[in-house]
Amino acid sequence: MFNRFKSAVIGVVSGLEANGPAIEGTQYNKVTLAPKFPYGRPHFLSLGDDEVQMSADHKLRPIIHPSKPLPYDTGYAECVNAGKSRWNEDQAVYRQGVLSKTIQNEAGTFNKYAVPYTYYGIFDGHAGVGAALCAAHQLHHIIHEKLVDAQDDIWVDFNEKNSPTTKPRDLLIIGALESAFSEMDQLLLEDKNKYQAAGGCTALVALFILGKLYVANAGDSRAIICKGDTFLPMSMDFTPENERDRIRRLAQEQPLLLGKEYTSKEYLAQPKSGDLGKTVMFRDAYMKGWAYKTLQPDDLKISVITGQGKRSRVMGTIGVTRGFGDHDLTAVYQKMPIKPFLSSHPEVQVYKIASTDDKEVLIMGTDGLWDVVDGYKAAEIIDKSLNAFEDKKYVSAATCLVGYARGSLTNFWQLKSGKPASCDDISVFVIPLLPYKLEYQELVSRSVVNESNSASTTTNNEIVCENENFLSC
Amino acid sequence: MSYAYLFKYIIIGDTGVGKSCLLLQFTDKRFQPVHDLTIGVEFGARMITIDSKQIKLQIWDTAGQEAFRSITRSYYRGAAGALLVYDITRRETFNHLTTWLDDARQHSNSNMVIMLIGNKSDLESRREVKKEEGEAFAREHGLVFMETSAKTAANVEEAFINTAKEIYEKIQEGVFDINNEANGIKIGPQHSPTNPSLPGAGGSGGSQGSACC
Repeated sequence: MFNRFKSAVIGVVSGLEANGPAIEGTQYNKVTLAPKFPYGRPHFLSLGDDEVQMSADHKLRPIIHPSKPLPYDTGYAECVNAGKSRWNEDQAVYRQGVLSKTIQNEAGTFNKYAVPYTYYGIFDGHAGVGAALCAAHQLHHIIHEKLVDAQDDIWVDFNEKNSPTTKPRDLLIIGALESAFSEMDQLLLEDKNKYQAAGGCTALVALFILGKLYVANAGDSRAIICKGDTFLPMSMDFTPENERDRIRRLAQEQPLLLGKEYTSKEYLAQPKSGDLGKTVMFRDAYMKGWAYKTLQPDDLKISVITGQGKRSRVMGTIGVTRGFGDHDLTAVYQKMPIKPFLSSHPEVQVYKIASTDDKEVLIMGTDGLWDVVDGYKAAEIIDKSLNAFEDKKYVSAATCLVGYARGSLTNFWQLKSGKPASCDDISVFVIPLLPYKLEYQELVSRSVVNESNSASTTTNNEIVCENENFLSC
Repeated sequence: MSYAYLFKYIIIGDTGVGKSCLLLQFTDKRFQPVHDLTIGVEFGARMITIDSKQIKLQIWDTAGQEAFRSITRSYYRGAAGALLVYDITRRETFNHLTTWLDDARQHSNSNMVIMLIGNKSDLESRREVKKEEGEAFAREHGLVFMETSAKTAANVEEAFINTAKEIYEKIQEGVFDINNEANGIKIGPQHSPTNPSLPGAGGSGGSQGSACC
């Protein structure tokens, strides 16, 4: 397993055979280059070409789910948008990997140790399907390499050795995720002139390793943990509105990035030329409160961030501020590059999987879900579904969640309540925490047994871990 | 592969009557004795020939479970043909036909061809619904009727193909407006100016105005 991952050469993997049609967007123009990966739906759905066509029916918006079980009974469901783009621009992936190491023990024989992990990712593409496809094909390889880089230190029992050169395991795994996100974005930059323009995508990743769950998010997809009718947010949304401070400060520090049209200042109302000389309320990049100033010609520029909530935009153009790609994205007006204001840096949250039951699930969803469903509603739908279904509970629950958010088509797509439903692509993982916990407990108990018989289990390939102390630190 | 027409089908009926097995027999020519409950919808496609024309069937196989009913209803829309299936060895699945039919008529277009199917005809010894009863129900409600066995494949081809023939005849008679895709019929790529093909990465180019957003 380890070798298989290791041998996958990052960045050289390519799928040149599929030649797509011209890109319709205005900001992206490189029509002569081939796409890096052919379009498809997530690997675990195993859809043929006919089925990919059927899945993109904007009138039916079929809810697609895996035909074969995913690890840990994980549920997944997706549906295409209502017509805003021809293809579903979301992508999803899961992978299982193993970090392994052979250590010579005192008797001179070798013990092979292994730490398995499971990875889930969802990527919401925009301005094309390329970046999301690249992330779905490549990010797990990069994360694996980063974990391999760190594995010697992950092995160390920090509590005992107390080495000043190593850091707690959480920080090593968080660092692996952070640096992998950065490298993924870098890879898209390097590919920029080699392949068809890829657009951009958000990234939400869940990594189950060593009894913990690490959720890394860059974008406006969202993860929550549901248990009964309550929920715990596991990510925050990176939208222009939520990242106002970071972006306006950057704009103030580097005004060249703003060109002639934009300003880092924010005004209570967009100033008009007729208001020159009047007093207006404003705040500067570093200000929390509001102050007054006399309106000067320079104040007639457009704020770098406009709009509110779902409609907030950077330079009037993009509504999400973190993720991969968008290296060629320019503002609708003035064609200023937007990428300097975007970040691939994820926020990583850690959750220790302690006491859990089969009702506790991690939900990962693209904004197509969260536009119309909040955490409480999601928890309610999941709770109901888990009670209603005997078999294939989690995939049924994912289907119900997507079904609720998609609603039904009358004159428009609407929820049961009559309110507008989501017209975006919707992708959802519903991952129960209990199976992972049980597997992990088994791993720990086996490793303890193994430790006591270490002489007799020298060169086998069993999946074991070092010792209780190591695992629990 | 190119086709003259594409017809959309939906398969409906109580849980456990053999809807998914009929689809599997038709698309893959095999039978799976133990089939998992369908979640939401499954789908398949196959090419057939009618009147020496290639016709592609897109088949949506819905879950019979009540819990999915609100989701499965959304698949009636835009279906040109429906296979309404009951199990000849379970009378209650026959008794529920009226409910299914009402549901189908309410949520689909009025020209949809509905084929009534009494499945599991291989289980003669456990039969609870007489063939004549199926025929009478079909006559009364203006449906086409057939008994099939997804296990032995008896009449399975015929069920799907005869439904397609009915649709094809309706097209010839001008009953279906083939330019309106809401009728579940699409003219094949070589007959139509637009040819939807899979995009390469980067293909969609983003937001062209949607009807509802």
